[in-house]
Amino acid sequence: MTDDVVEARGITKRYGNTLALDAVDLSVHRGSVYGLVGPNGAGKTTLLGVLAGIRTPSDGVFTVNAKRVAVLPDTPKFDPWMTAREVVELSLNLAMSEGNADTVLDRTGLLDVASRRVGGFSRGMLQRLGLAAAVVGNPDLLLLDEPAAALDPAGRREVLDMVSDLRGDSTIVFSSHILDDVEQVCDAIGILNKGRFVYDGTLEELVRGSSRVPSYRIRVRGSGDRLVEALQLCDWVTDVSGEGDTVIVSAGSTAVIERELVPCLARVDAAVVSIAPVDRSLEDVFLEVTR
Amino acid sequence: MSLWRLETFRLFRTHRIWILLAVFASFGALGPLTARFLPEIVDAVGGGVEIAVPPPTPELAMAGYLGNALQIGILAVAFVSAAALAFDAKPEMAVYLRTRASIRQILTPRYVVNMAATVLSFSIGTAIAYVGSTLLIDAPRLGGTITATLLLAVYLVFAVALTGLTASFVRSVPGTALITIAVLIVIGIIGLIPHVDPWLPSNLVGSFDALISGGEFDYWRSLVVTIVLSLGCVLASVGLMGRREA
Repeated sequence: MTDDVVEARGITKRYGNTLALDAVDLSVHRGSVYGLVGPNGAGKTTLLGVLAGIRTPSDGVFTVNAKRVAVLPDTPKFDPWMTAREVVELSLNLAMSEGNADTVLDRTGLLDVASRRVGGFSRGMLQRLGLAAAVVGNPDLLLLDEPAAALDPAGRREVLDMVSDLRGDSTIVFSSHILDDVEQVCDAIGILNKGRFVYDGTLEELVRGSSRVPSYRIRVRGSGDRLVEALQLCDWVTDVSGEGDTVIVSAGSTAVIERELVPCLARVDAAVVSIAPVDRSLEDVFLEVTR
Repeated sequence: MSLWRLETFRLFRTHRIWILLAVFASFGALGPLTARFLPEIVDAVGGGVEIAVPPPTPELAMAGYLGNALQIGILAVAFVSAAALAFDAKPEMAVYLRTRASIRQILTPRYVVNMAATVLSFSIGTAIAYVGSTLLIDAPRLGGTITATLLLAVYLVFAVALTGLTASFVRSVPGTALITIAVLIVIGIIGLIPHVDPWLPSNLVGSFDALISGGEFDYWRSLVVTIVLSLGCVLASVGLMGRREA
């Protein structure tokens, strides 16, 4: 059996004249958590739908090497007259798998309302129930579309912990707008923009690889205006900005900035409190590559 | 919880089974009552105008039942069946089912449970009309009533199957129900063509009066066509819904 649970090549999906997915290639390693991020309308839900088998690609081929695939849509809904326990028991029955509905309901914080009909559930409770129905019976591949979107901070934390716990047992493809969530739980990431992958790889490579302009943040005692003026006169500086006691300076390469910055600070006799490289967040990189 | 139990719960917890039973049972009671007391009713509302009404007969009681029960009953059957068979009407719920079971697995209990509920409700309505007629007027012909009930049950099963086929083209529940009713009306209109009528499902509706009156009725051609069409509708809906995206 191949080590990739999902292998997709050239997946294209058209809705009339609209190109939702444009020749997307994707490989998801068995047991990993793959984060699918992108702006609204990027094609994330369509790609998950194709992998789930509920949308047919217009072009391309894909294989899903998993016996059981479970899907959590972004806004899960169930028959309002069913109880939470019945929803999970139905999932378990259809999965033809061993498991206990109440254990999963307990993990998702719904055991107290297991006998209540889901018609009165809030969006957050439905999201938890959707997750419970998805994970019950231990699926091989779990496709989660914005699983924490409607949850409060505590609920989000529980979902992320659950996803982390499932790592290794299940392969998870997880779409999200919340980049912090992706950063916390995903081994690999794909950034979709306008139906195309603009990045597919590990988070570390993404953040490192996109830091083309190395920058340092310098905190000085008092105002940083004098330091900004001095740095603007240095020919190795490509960009400099200051606000209050903080100055951010960029150079053409890390080597240059490492060599030139400290002597420059000494020349202007700056009262330096701290110097540190500027770490680019996933959000910075995301905005850069989807611009 | 299985898909069979889910469909049974759907009928009871949404009270749809009671709607079907209420429609057929109420007309089952009203048919004989109206036939028995029609002269008194006409006298009471006639305002002195003399109107000739036929004497109450079991045939009149059963015809009164069927005439009303079939019109309102078909409407109820179409809406109740559409609510179960047009499961793509709510995409998020459809995703839940479609990613866990095959279309055949999803549709089989929906068809069987709704067909059974429809036939049961109609049979109870007919039984009430039969007993009511026996108590108030006279007993209708038992053999004719049973045969006619079976033929009408086949027609109602066809209506459920047609609802399923419509649901594979239309996603909304009201749209599915209304188009089904429209198609049944069109079939009835086509049945006005003399040589075509014996081949159409709508011909089975005409069997009720004839068989209860003890007359002869050629229902074999329409019976076979209705069974074949029902099977065709079910199979086509499974194929079409399987190809449709959620």
